[in-house]
Amino acid sequence: MPPTTSPDARARLWRAAQLAPVLSVLVLLFGGALVLALAQSLGFAPWFGVNTFPDPSYFGSLWGSADFWVSLGLTLAYALAATGLALILGTALALALVRAFRGQRLYKYIYKLPLMIPYTVGIALAVLMLGNGGMVSRLAAFVGLIDSPGEFPRILNTHYGWGIIAVYVWKQTPFVALSVYAVLLGIGRDTSEAAAILGANRRQIFWRVTLPQILPGIVSAALICFAFNVGAFEAPFILGGGYPDTLPVVAWRYFNDADYTLQIQGMAVVVSIALVAGLILFAWLALYRWQERRMGRR
Amino acid sequence: MGRLSPFQKIYLFLIAGFILGPFLPLIIQSFAFRWAWPDLLPGTWWLEQREKSPIPLAWDYVLSPYSRIWEATLNTVLIGGIVTAICLAICLPAAKVLARDRFRGKSLLEFGLSLPLIVPETAIGIALLMMFIRLGLAGTYTGIIIAHLIPTIPYMIRMLTSVWQGLGREFEEQAMILGASRWQVLRLVTLPMLMPGVVAGALFSFLVSTNIFLLTFLLGQGKIVTLPTLLFSKISGGQIDATGAGIALIVTVPGIAMLLISERFLREEAFGQGFGN
Amino acid sequence: MKRTVALAGLLTLTTAPLALAQDAAAFRDAFLAGETGWPAVEARARDEGEVNFYYWGGSDLLNVWVDSMAVPALATKGVTLNPIRITSTKDVVDVILAEKAAGKRLGDGSVDVLWVNGENFATLKVQDGLFGSFAQLLPTSANIEWNAEDPRSLLNLRDFGVETGGAEMPWSGEQYVCAYNGDTVEEDALPATFDQLKAYLTENPGRFTYVKPPHYLGNTFVQQAVYAFNPDGTGAEPFQQNRDDIAPEELARLIAPGLEYLKSLEPLLLNGSDSGARYPEDPAAIDGMFLNGEVDFNCKFGIYAVSTGLSTGTYPEAAREFIFPEKGMIKNKNYLAIPANAPNPAAALVLVDWMTTVDAQATKLEATGFPAGIDGWTLELSDRAALESASPGLIALTEEDLEANAVPDTNATLVDVIEAVWLDYIERDSTEGIEALVQRAYETLGQ
Repeated sequence: MPPTTSPDARARLWRAAQLAPVLSVLVLLFGGALVLALAQSLGFAPWFGVNTFPDPSYFGSLWGSADFWVSLGLTLAYALAATGLALILGTALALALVRAFRGQRLYKYIYKLPLMIPYTVGIALAVLMLGNGGMVSRLAAFVGLIDSPGEFPRILNTHYGWGIIAVYVWKQTPFVALSVYAVLLGIGRDTSEAAAILGANRRQIFWRVTLPQILPGIVSAALICFAFNVGAFEAPFILGGGYPDTLPVVAWRYFNDADYTLQIQGMAVVVSIALVAGLILFAWLALYRWQERRMGRR
Repeated sequence: MGRLSPFQKIYLFLIAGFILGPFLPLIIQSFAFRWAWPDLLPGTWWLEQREKSPIPLAWDYVLSPYSRIWEATLNTVLIGGIVTAICLAICLPAAKVLARDRFRGKSLLEFGLSLPLIVPETAIGIALLMMFIRLGLAGTYTGIIIAHLIPTIPYMIRMLTSVWQGLGREFEEQAMILGASRWQVLRLVTLPMLMPGVVAGALFSFLVSTNIFLLTFLLGQGKIVTLPTLLFSKISGGQIDATGAGIALIVTVPGIAMLLISERFLREEAFGQGFGN
Repeated sequence: MKRTVALAGLLTLTTAPLALAQDAAAFRDAFLAGETGWPAVEARARDEGEVNFYYWGGSDLLNVWVDSMAVPALATKGVTLNPIRITSTKDVVDVILAEKAAGKRLGDGSVDVLWVNGENFATLKVQDGLFGSFAQLLPTSANIEWNAEDPRSLLNLRDFGVETGGAEMPWSGEQYVCAYNGDTVEEDALPATFDQLKAYLTENPGRFTYVKPPHYLGNTFVQQAVYAFNPDGTGAEPFQQNRDDIAPEELARLIAPGLEYLKSLEPLLLNGSDSGARYPEDPAAIDGMFLNGEVDFNCKFGIYAVSTGLSTGTYPEAAREFIFPEKGMIKNKNYLAIPANAPNPAAALVLVDWMTTVDAQATKLEATGFPAGIDGWTLELSDRAALESASPGLIALTEEDLEANAVPDTNATLVDVIEAVWLDYIERDSTEGIEALVQRAYETLGQ
């Protein structure tokens, strides 16, 4: 490619102009909101008559309470369990989808449905299926396992978070499957066929040939799911076990408290969520770099 | 890669059941009048009560203007459409720069552009609300549309950058050499080659926008109802009645439409570019 | 002559928007001073053209009534009613106050009329977020008892013990009532006191729960328990005082036995024996549990809840009401308030005035089962009859039963304290004493 002969400054200006709209949304809105959240969590809230900036006491009291760490633990545990399950189920689904079978066209419609509809629908389905008065409980009564809805093991609204995890898995298994499937289509069959000719069995082909190829796709799908799960609000709000709640719900409750100073505490929770997300991103980048180096691309 | 193993056949069947199964009771619930534990079918159906009741029940309520479902559907589609159009317009030039130019701070920029994928809505929603109240944007369509740009831009940028990369400068330059005008180049070369990515990016932003709950809920302040916020208000207590079930089913319909459209216009790999990798 | 009138009309029409914004404050001052005739208010409302009514949208029945009755009625007055359904009144109070903080005054906010009571009204009042003392200036205020010497006027003059000062108009009156399922519970097994409830739950563990504070339905249940275990035996009386008039130590002493009781009740509540008691978050949730037989009793505000529940299929067919707790069923009213920064103040007044008419009140009662907020004895006989015939009817109770067991609500400024203590002491299992928790609530809420 020949070097540009036009004046450097003009090219730079043109480039900046092309990037400006996207950048302004990102910097002003997204960045602005993050900065405002941070400033407020450090005591800058003149609209509540509070301005003690910079004041680390809101973080101090938040991070100093044991309940915060329980909430963080629950948040991460639900997110991790759901991501793990979705990864396994989704990858297995993708591996099945690349094979030829009857009804494949229809199946490709079916499995993508959860991707297309809001989480709230998934939550509605969970309420209907898994509640103590729900369908599974009724089926258990129908076959004579239980006599009253109270005897049905509690699935929703417990700190085990089964209901939350179920909704995440329902929505994200197709997401993982799709990401992996796309990669599988992209890499084609050459390498695995070559391996088969060389005498590798199915299991060896999967672990030695296929998996390394789809791993980057899996990892980034996993991180997107995980980060989403950490920040998700609706499912833990409706299906969660109550106090101690996951972090997004804790933030919500603080913002709805009669005590306005707790709103600032809520901002500290929000910033903590962003920090967790930042750590996830950092881990992803580190992993990506490592992967690139290992593949010898750079 | 041959055929399915028996295990995989069962597995596909189970997953389909897991995904679609719960819709059966949802449909039944939407036709129920009273459906108490442990009945597997409603004790009283809506149609039995329909004539007697002075008020619209179940589907009569859901499909009437009272439920706000049409307003919510219209809002959802309208907001999704405008967000997609704006997102496309501002991402197209930016993606071109990202795909073709090398400059200082580019990797930082790429990093910044993918941040909204990782940083959750919860982290920005409340602060955004405070900013919007100041600016008079809270509770307005403009405010919601602007806010929806944040989570849609990363997807759009990814899709468009990859098509710009595939397009390369050579095609345009060759057409120029062959005597095409700038306008002809754009119309006959650039746009047709960009089309698959544009369609994919548009479908994705529309999908993401129509699925957003928290940002719309916070910034709409109850004034602007979309399908996700309407359903949330109905089920936030963790119970679902006939009208709630009906609304949940209607909320699913645009998703099914999107599914049909995307199967028609998108190749599976395009999804992969948006999500993974 | 005709032409000049038409011309003048055209002129006012074109200049109206600008003039309206400027003179909103002048309009308010003149109206509150009693200098503006009602026809002038109605004319101004027509110029404003619309009114934004914010209300809790969780009842399909109420939604239908607002859309099918209130919207057309306001349309005949030349005002477009925009019903805005909300999930939490507190959010709207926050919006009003945030807009006020951002410098939006009368004529440029977003909320015209808000369905409100209790702490939310108290917050608006304390933060100076209300339009002013308008209620007694409306034509239909004749349907309300304002005479302070008549004890029946109490709930019109005080909202959760806080003086309404005419800044809100009664819209509906409610009482906390419990229902049971006649198919599963024998009538003579019904508890009438909190101690009997505990005895019942010891026999039948897990068969009851109440809505979780800070939801007002939960707060009210907690208040009833606090009244019942008031160590002085004075029930609701000391809780009528403002927070400034009662020392934290004294309040702690008064509420401690009630909270101890609720704490001891927790293991007997739904799922209380295993993973921690389960409290529903809203009325829809407890209705669902009651319908499915997860719990035996359903306690909430709703004199006619059983009637409406039967007509919508949300209650079991054998549902009946019963008295619980004896001499301790909280009765209150809920109101329509106009914020200080209402964008359309005249239209807001017209809306509130219409909502207080016998016609509006009777159709609302019939369609939704929300009891009337106006006072029957102030009405003409025919109107009173219309109101009575609109009632969906009590199931297994009489008006006299309800009246005989009615007690007033807790002062709104104390509700926040009791709520905070419940959250800390019961939900968060705080090990600090109740007195320390009350002290802290006083400090944080006082800011």
